Amino acid sequence: MLLNIAAVITLAVTQQTDTTVPVRPGMRLDVDNFGGEVVVKAWNQNSVRVQATHSSRDRIDVEVGASTVSVKAESRRGIAQMVEYQISAPAWMNLNLHGVSTDIEVDGAQGAVTAETVNGEVKCRGGSGQVSLKSVQGAVRLQNAKGHVDVYSVSEGLTLENVSGDISAETVSGDISLEGIESASVEVSTVSGDVTYEGSIKDGAHYRFATHNGDVTVGIPERTNVTVSVATFNGDFDSSFPVSVTNTTKHRFSFTLGSGSGRLELETFNGDIRLRRPGQLHDKHHDDQEDH
Amino acid sequence: MNDTWTERLSEYIDGTLPDAERAALEAHLAGCTACRTTLDELRRVVARARALDDRPPAADLWPAIAEQIGVSSGAHHVVSLAERRTRRVTFTVLQLAAAAAVLLLLGSGGAYLALRRPPVEGGGAIAQRGPAADLTTSPVGWVQKTSSRYDAAVAELQSALEQGRASGRLDSATVRVLTQSLVTIDSAIVQARRALAADPGSAYLNQHLADTMRRKLELLRRASALAPART
Repeated sequence: MLLNIAAVITLAVTQQTDTTVPVRPGMRLDVDNFGGEVVVKAWNQNSVRVQATHSSRDRIDVEVGASTVSVKAESRRGIAQMVEYQISAPAWMNLNLHGVSTDIEVDGAQGAVTAETVNGEVKCRGGSGQVSLKSVQGAVRLQNAKGHVDVYSVSEGLTLENVSGDISAETVSGDISLEGIESASVEVSTVSGDVTYEGSIKDGAHYRFATHNGDVTVGIPERTNVTVSVATFNGDFDSSFPVSVTNTTKHRFSFTLGSGSGRLELETFNGDIRLRRPGQLHDKHHDDQEDH
Repeated sequence: MNDTWTERLSEYIDGTLPDAERAALEAHLAGCTACRTTLDELRRVVARARALDDRPPAADLWPAIAEQIGVSSGAHHVVSLAERRTRRVTFTVLQLAAAAAVLLLLGSGGAYLALRRPPVEGGGAIAQRGPAADLTTSPVGWVQKTSSRYDAAVAELQSALEQGRASGRLDSATVRVLTQSLVTIDSAIVQARRALAADPGSAYLNQHLADTMRRKLELLRRASALAPART
């Protein structure tokens, strides 16, 4: 009986908003949300459809300016607390999404994407140009993007799959996993977590993978031309293929593969550094044998 | 390692070594693995320092913080790293490593404050803050020279964070996560400082400590910028 009453009350205060506005190429979508969810999916129309589930006390404002479509909720009590947005936008549209206690999801974007939240996950499939995804308390996942990529979290992990372009990925506590990467510049660091990289190691390019507490595992394709610098304070180095160490100091050594034209820096204060061929990257059996 | 040649490596990198000495050094390098390694490491730290993103401090709380500590964000000229690079200064090897470490700190907005904040008298505030402060009683090299200003910047940002928490602009769960993350970084700083104290000449440990300190400033800067989010 109590549940039924609660359901009736909930239905009574929940409202749906459904608004569609026309847009022109070059316009940007701005969304600000305090709590709830923002989901943006690309479609093949030059218009933006905003579907929002919110309290009847809140009002959804969709403003069309000269260069932006701005979406936000307002309440008679100030900031609207909880809004669930389902937004359809042209794939070409640049996205600028901000939340506080908000999960953010983007699917199919082909323009620049900025997505930032304090407490919530950020998931993005697509994006090009500047792609910036940040969360304090939430994992960040980026797939199928290209351009200048910047992903950041404080307390959770980062996952990048099938991403090309310059990449910067940083978290404090969490693992960082990169797979299917095509890049000439990758900078990855975490304080407490493992780092795994599988992707291109290009001639003349620069890659840096660093952690304080954690392992660093990197897939090195055959016929790679790179100078590898390895630094660890408490940890071991293991390679599944032979390397000839040339320069050695107390906590760092280096070696060259092929012509050595690229630069690969691998650092962990407490942890192991492993080099694998790409197909061996997730070979737990191999790692377990090494550990014993 | 040949100390005489090691001391000339920074001039060699700068291209200021006279021709005869450059030729002699190159001949020495051909046969000295240790010097080649040191040269490679110095080139790396300099390259990384040069590659830093010279971002200005974030907006949001920064003007207020700057006001709090007596810094007018608009009244002072901020020297860009590009301008700094035009100045030619020759360092010893360890000084070069230290300079690179300081430049790494400059990469965060916090150093904007750190460089302008008057030094804390006697560094008294340092000992009151967390486990990282324990080892500042015996820091080494550049850490000793930069720690008071660094800690002053950290203290100001922590204060801003506390104000955000006290005013309710940051919820308790977010503050808890940020605090835990700061503990994680402080723990890493302590470990790096201990290691550096035992091996002060290690370019890796110098870089690692600088990186970790920069991350703390960066986290505090980002956290401070979050504080107005709920207003």
